[in-house]
Amino acid sequence: MMRVAVTGIGLVTPLGHSTREVFESACAGRSAIRPFVGAATARLRSPLTATVQFDAAEHFDVQQQRLLDRVTQFAVVAARRAIADSGGALTSLDRDRVGVFLGTGMAGIASMDDGYRTLYADASDRIKPTLILQGMHNAAAAWIGIENRLTGPNLTYSTACSSSGVAIGEVWLRVASGAVDLAVAGGSEAPLALGSMKAWEAMHTLASSDVAAPSASCKPFSKNRSGMVLGEGAAIVLLEPMDAALARNATIHGELIGYGLTTDSSHIARPSAQGQASAMRAALQSAGITADEVDSINAHGTGTLANDVAETSAIRSVFGDRAGVIPVSATKAIHGHLLGAAGAIECVLALLAMRHRIALPTMHLEQSDPECDLDYVAKVARPGAAGDIMLSNSFAFGGTNAVLVLRSSQ
Amino acid sequence: MTTTDRIIAMLVKDFKVDPDRLSPAGRLEDIGIDSLGLAELLFNIEDEFHLKLPDVPLDLATFGDVVRYVDEQIAAQSTLLTVDPASAQDTQVVP
Repeated sequence: MMRVAVTGIGLVTPLGHSTREVFESACAGRSAIRPFVGAATARLRSPLTATVQFDAAEHFDVQQQRLLDRVTQFAVVAARRAIADSGGALTSLDRDRVGVFLGTGMAGIASMDDGYRTLYADASDRIKPTLILQGMHNAAAAWIGIENRLTGPNLTYSTACSSSGVAIGEVWLRVASGAVDLAVAGGSEAPLALGSMKAWEAMHTLASSDVAAPSASCKPFSKNRSGMVLGEGAAIVLLEPMDAALARNATIHGELIGYGLTTDSSHIARPSAQGQASAMRAALQSAGITADEVDSINAHGTGTLANDVAETSAIRSVFGDRAGVIPVSATKAIHGHLLGAAGAIECVLALLAMRHRIALPTMHLEQSDPECDLDYVAKVARPGAAGDIMLSNSFAFGGTNAVLVLRSSQ
Repeated sequence: MTTTDRIIAMLVKDFKVDPDRLSPAGRLEDIGIDSLGLAELLFNIEDEFHLKLPDVPLDLATFGDVVRYVDEQIAAQSTLLTVDPASAQDTQVVP
């Protein structure tokens, strides 16, 4: 198995568009969560979202704007940025040996929502001829492939909130084994359509608004947490064999050294601490390291009642007595839950945290839930604490648990 | 405006086609209108001309084919509406 380097990062996120801007916001704990402003505001119980500032016309011509759902636009722009950041990773490669591996939970839901609105609300029998191509789950990956003429594998993973953790993990297997020479991997999500937001609301998973500070409404691991806040965006990384990266003198953002994947197969929505712990153990085993070697964790940390207790219990189960002293960061408090893109943005934040040697803060954590008794790096970033090996956890409805093991490039 | 003028305006606005490249015999694929583009164009033509186009495969290869087809549909559907608006779609009309 070859070592796998991350040599490109591209972001389109509520925290910003450059890695520097995003990392600075994460360090400072600047939340991008805001009251949702739109025609549907009055119909939402708790109108909060983390939205991306994005003008499609800056990136796409009018035909592309019609054909590409927002989720695809995010993914394509993030991929452009990752490829540009890689310093020419694609230049001399056989494109048959380059793949695209993308996670998305809800794909082109906004386009589908709009199409169905014309059917049901407008009682029209006319649907745009582009709707299938906008809404289908593999549209974003396909367009990244088309734009860059990448003719290797082009796969889309949809395992709800672990989709992009799975996508990046599956790439690790392929790059490490030599199945592909380079992969464009990550996730994209644009779920802020009325139908989608109402469906999430109906599950009672969304945070109620903190009246005093709406941007602080998502409070992972807090005693007074009430749920997650929907976010949107994309995060893409480029992965290639370490030797190839070193040979072309690439900037190496970090290394992916392991991946654990398990499935609860017990309940469609309730998280299983056992399943999550099994994924962390599998990840450590694949990396060939022990739990003692893990320096910090980017938690799934949704801020929902069920997840945070289960994840805490899972971390305790894996790390034993050391669990209480490992810094655990939950960044969804500020960028919202990007669902199928969450694993990718959090993987990037973990890499940046190690590169800058700063454990990122878990914001809005005034008082921990008694059942959440780990070191969550509450409210203030901790210089020097990220260490050299991090786990990035992604867990999901449907029970798919994906854990990435990342190593610093230092 | 003629049918030709209106379709030219649509092609310029929605597909960024250079109007100087349009001629009746010009092939749609040569101005970047593939099968999906044609489906979009016909969808937009329905809105622009207040037509309901038949849901059947079409053999429209040139710009002139499109203009001719739209004029035929305008004529046919005007006749239908004159005969019986309520059941126009199902009515067989002898011109």
